[in-house]
Amino acid sequence: MISHLLKLIWNKKKAHALLIVEIWASFMVLFGLATLIVVNVRNYREPMGFTYENVWAVGLKSNQDTVAIAEKLQRVTQRLKAYPEVESVSRMSSNFPFSANTMNNGIEYNKRKVMADFYATDENFAKTLDIAVTEGKWYQYADSVGKYTPLVINQKVKEELFENENPLGKIIGEKFKVVGVVNTFKSKGEFMSDKPAVFELFKPDATWNDTVLVKVKPGTDAVFEAKLVKEIAAMMTGWNVEVDYLTDSRKNQHNLVLVPIIIALIVSSFLLINVALGLFGVLNLSIAKRRGEIGLRRALGATGNGISTQFIGEIWVLATFALLIGLLFAAQFPLLNVFDVKSGTYVTAILIAMLIIYGIVTLCAFFPSRQAAGIQPATALHEE
Amino acid sequence: MLLNYIKIAWKVLLRHPFYTFITLFGISLTLTVLMVLTSFLDHLIGSHYPETKRDRTLYVMQMHLQDSSRTSSSNGPMSFKFLTDYAKSLKTAERVTITTFINSSNAYVGSQKIKLNTKFTDADFWQVTSFEFLEGKPYNEQNIANGDNVAVITDDFKKHYFENSSEPVVGKDVEIENIHYKVIGVVKASPVTRPFTYADVFFPYTAPKSNYQGTGMRGGYVAMILGKDKADLPAIQEEFQSHIDRIPLPIIQDGTKFAVMDVKSVPYLENFLGSILNGNPGMKAIFFGIIFFVLFMLMGLPAINLVNINVSRIMERASEIGIRKAFGAPIRTLMWQFIVENIFITFIGGAIALILTFIVIHLINTSGMIAYADLTINLYVFVISIVVCLLFGLLSGVLPALRMSKLNIAEALKS
Repeated sequence: MISHLLKLIWNKKKAHALLIVEIWASFMVLFGLATLIVVNVRNYREPMGFTYENVWAVGLKSNQDTVAIAEKLQRVTQRLKAYPEVESVSRMSSNFPFSANTMNNGIEYNKRKVMADFYATDENFAKTLDIAVTEGKWYQYADSVGKYTPLVINQKVKEELFENENPLGKIIGEKFKVVGVVNTFKSKGEFMSDKPAVFELFKPDATWNDTVLVKVKPGTDAVFEAKLVKEIAAMMTGWNVEVDYLTDSRKNQHNLVLVPIIIALIVSSFLLINVALGLFGVLNLSIAKRRGEIGLRRALGATGNGISTQFIGEIWVLATFALLIGLLFAAQFPLLNVFDVKSGTYVTAILIAMLIIYGIVTLCAFFPSRQAAGIQPATALHEE
Repeated sequence: MLLNYIKIAWKVLLRHPFYTFITLFGISLTLTVLMVLTSFLDHLIGSHYPETKRDRTLYVMQMHLQDSSRTSSSNGPMSFKFLTDYAKSLKTAERVTITTFINSSNAYVGSQKIKLNTKFTDADFWQVTSFEFLEGKPYNEQNIANGDNVAVITDDFKKHYFENSSEPVVGKDVEIENIHYKVIGVVKASPVTRPFTYADVFFPYTAPKSNYQGTGMRGGYVAMILGKDKADLPAIQEEFQSHIDRIPLPIIQDGTKFAVMDVKSVPYLENFLGSILNGNPGMKAIFFGIIFFVLFMLMGLPAINLVNINVSRIMERASEIGIRKAFGAPIRTLMWQFIVENIFITFIGGAIALILTFIVIHLINTSGMIAYADLTINLYVFVISIVVCLLFGLLSGVLPALRMSKLNIAEALKS
């Protein structure tokens, strides 16, 4: 059966070459789109690792003020804690969750290296963002008396640096001591991949950690915010005080990811509709041209189902040809590791793209093939 | 003759509405995407309000510092002092303005919070850019010298901040982060996609919190250098580079010693693409590879589709072609006829695409996805679209025409 179909296709190779190119190109578009979506869906399914509702990021900038910065920052933090509307306060570096800032550094343990995002925070960070500590505990100022800075790492760092060892109490880079492990921490939102992240406790007198995360009670509104900004600005002349809601910043980060995907999705689906319509038209025409052949087959006893199976079979063989060529191209991505994406993602994307292609060609061939099945041998042969 | 071809093409179009629909759908869709894309690119990089002189302006956006062992580097805007010393002093330029890049702040009106972008600029900013003043006037050198707390606001901010926005607001008071500013002018807002000029509130650089006093190399300021003419730009770039070359190395910034310093005055687009164009070849190959692939798919796929349908539909007209051939029409004439027909159809598709593009652009402009977007179909976009139309028509017409001209007369007439 298949060898017969192959022969039929080979006899019309010129006409079919264009169809194959078309299906191949559609496959490439679908492969790209599917990869993009699979990557983001995979990321989305991993937990973010913290909560952001009712958390505000208060950015403080000292501008030309250079006197006693650390004391002033501490005083602001104390003042913020004292408001009855505030549940919890934590000061950290400027790369607060969903912000555009990043800070990364290489860390090394036993000759294994990893690039990790660094977050300098104080002891209330986990409490403010509801981060669950899976091993050990979150650092406290009380137990950082030694010469090592306490460090909390995420699961990813643990896997890459320590594999099966217990990371608690280990010294990294002669400066840091691991005291706790958290699960995931995706600071750029749900669509970010789970990257290595470490949290270090900054010294109370550090001057550059100028963002304060404030968790307010639910229902607190801009009236309190205006009051807060006014009082803090009055406390610190010449400083900038700016409040960002983490929910707003999260939306911005999401738009950065979602808008390109949505545009790609719209354009690709129009392209595919276009291709599907074209395919339908071409198949319709080719079946109209082969009425004589169909009539003869019917006259010799082929069933209607047999005829429609033949046409669908033909288009499947064609699609398989095109997909094989497409696979040659698509396989380069996991083999050469062009982008930093797991090969499993590519395989899923290839499978999805193949399924959709087979679906489209079947859909396009179904109606013309049913029409072909309904051809009466007498009329078809009479026309000849 | 041409009119005849077009008449025939029109009849062919009407004969099978379904195939006509497929053909026109493909053409108009592709052209719409391309036109919206060109319009958007033009919106991003063309000379538009308030940077209408962008084509004769050079931008200084980034300073790149690197230490001798290449382990640490620092990139970003520069200090006010640096730009005053090395950019403001250019003799070949018509005018130079120094402004902060992107700053954000909040203002509060009752229980309402307004997120806003602020900019600290010098007085030349208003000459280099072409902001339209709806009320009042810009601040001048006198305001700056006095250190006045004055502000120029946009019409949009005015609408949000003042209760009665139909009244003039010049002379009224605006409070931002506990500091009171006097409104001196109101300008028409500009789109967020123009970071050099986009802001809701503009302050003179001597207003509080502008950090213009910084003495290092790096800071929060960028510069726009306006030339008298487009042809003057290379001379300005040369002069700026000679100023930069005078700076003694290494530079100490924030306690780190930097042996390499790189600042360039470049046309607008290069600011953003420079790092890719001057970067390593692998990065460049990937970047252009992706652009080429996307364009190929966008144009190629519908074109292949069209060729496919056209080739299949040739047989419909076999008898017509057979008769014309039998009466002695040369292959060239037949091909020419087919190509003209195709171009005619493409232009119908192009006209539909133009209408669709107007709708899409209108939707983008009014959706608020990009604040104050002003996408337009200008002459440039239109000419590109027509060229693409022609290309498309040729591309999808040539192969079927070739196929047709090879048709055997006897066989064609048999049916």
